[in-house]
Amino acid sequence: MSGPAAPDGPLRVLICDDNEMLRAALAEVVGAQPDLALAGSAADAEEAIRLATAEQPHVVVLDVRFPGGGPHTARQITRAVPGVRILVFSAYGDQATRSEMAAVGVADYLVKGTTNARLLAGIRALGAEARSATTSGDRAGGTPDGLRTPRE
Amino acid sequence: MTGKRPAERSATPAPNETAFTLLVTSVLDYGIFMLDPGGYVSTWNAGAERIKGYRAEDIIGRHFSVFYPPEEIAARKPHLELEAAIADGRLEDEGWRIRKDGSRFWANVVITALFDETGELRGFGKVTRDMTERRAAEQELTDRRRLFTHLVQAQELERRRIAWDVHDDSIQAMVAVGMRLQLLADRVGEPYADELSRLDASVREAVGRLRNLTFRLQPPGIDRHGLAESLSQYLTDVVGKWGLETSLVGDLAREPAAETAITAFRIVQEALLNVRKHARARSVRISVTSENRGVLVRVADDGTGNPAASHGLREHFGLMEMRERAETAGGWWTLRSEPGVGTTVEFWLPDLPAGGSDEHLPGTPFGSLGSRSSTQDPR
Repeated sequence: MSGPAAPDGPLRVLICDDNEMLRAALAEVVGAQPDLALAGSAADAEEAIRLATAEQPHVVVLDVRFPGGGPHTARQITRAVPGVRILVFSAYGDQATRSEMAAVGVADYLVKGTTNARLLAGIRALGAEARSATTSGDRAGGTPDGLRTPRE
Repeated sequence: MTGKRPAERSATPAPNETAFTLLVTSVLDYGIFMLDPGGYVSTWNAGAERIKGYRAEDIIGRHFSVFYPPEEIAARKPHLELEAAIADGRLEDEGWRIRKDGSRFWANVVITALFDETGELRGFGKVTRDMTERRAAEQELTDRRRLFTHLVQAQELERRRIAWDVHDDSIQAMVAVGMRLQLLADRVGEPYADELSRLDASVREAVGRLRNLTFRLQPPGIDRHGLAESLSQYLTDVVGKWGLETSLVGDLAREPAAETAITAFRIVQEALLNVRKHARARSVRISVTSENRGVLVRVADDGTGNPAASHGLREHFGLMEMRERAETAGGWWTLRSEPGVGTTVEFWLPDLPAGGSDEHLPGTPFGSLGSRSSTQDPR
């Protein structure tokens, strides 16, 4: 596992979406920002959890209807990456889906079709939170079961 | 057994054994006849002849097991029924019986054991009714309900497939295109950035419309939340964003069957779509109540009172679809429109008995839309 990022290095962003076109567009949008670094892109829950565990991203952009389950992925990543912030990027904006994701502790919820600027602002805001959580020792302290490997 | 009352004695000819026998032999609606203690037919009447096809001279003296189908005879049913009648005094049964010509009819049969004053068995009275038509009517009702269940399930399945396709493919692709257009606009600068932004805006508009479409197509989650709660969520998630003030009164004595609830939900959806498109209303009130062993739903707006029927073919189909849905479910649908007051859609659906079918049939069209246009009469 990599250590905490340098305070002023780029924010590491992991992209999780099963649609290839969208994954590529997201990667390109993130990659074009000098203050953001692509930590990887995943097409299903297993890959997302493995990449998150290995890369310790600051922010995870996560689809809800995601192979292996959006809520499950969010829960496992939260356990594996202390201090991480999850931004849901979903084609569904209904209340039931929002509540479902709020219940697993995601930090922000954007509906697909929003502007790049809005999405990037969301990523940066959450990245700043993740970084301050890390430097204040939150990340080192971790969640109670933060040491458990998500996939045995 | 004639039970004469004093008053009758003077007014009309006294009912006596002969008159009573005349009644029994003449009744056409019931087969009324007697069996001797061994089960052999000893009397016959006109109703028995009409129902079973035997004339008195053909049947008297023959064993009554000839009325039973072979499989019942093999199971000793005729004998068992006589034994049961002796033991309990009477026996009632429904089942297939055979006419003289070999055809079957669905019979309701009552066998009464007849004992004399010494307690000795003197025979049996048998009353038979032909229930074939009633049974067919009940069967038809059951078939209709099963068909309705299949239709609703098939349609919901198809809608779900379309919604997933649109969501997983069309929307995602267009979102990706929009993101790339914005990225490109950032890179190229003027004079192209403006044009790219406009392109992106129209792509995003289209994405929004497709998202509304998929939401309308989605199964409304009635199995989890119930009809009233699903409607309430729909009003919050979708209708509230149209700038319409909404209110919902839900007063259901019990939750209707899933197919009934889905049908109600879909009709309300269509009615709301009409309000949005044509009514120029500020508010819409919905009420859902239990009535007459079914669900009564009212969707009332305060718009121009100009129903969709006057707008064009697509809207006309929308109204017909609502009515088709209600009538396929065995209910009714009506629309009242008053200029300056608003439009009210009202419909009632009978609740289905539990235990419909859970199989899925291949998609069947929901009624025949084209055949109804002449009967459509929105007042």
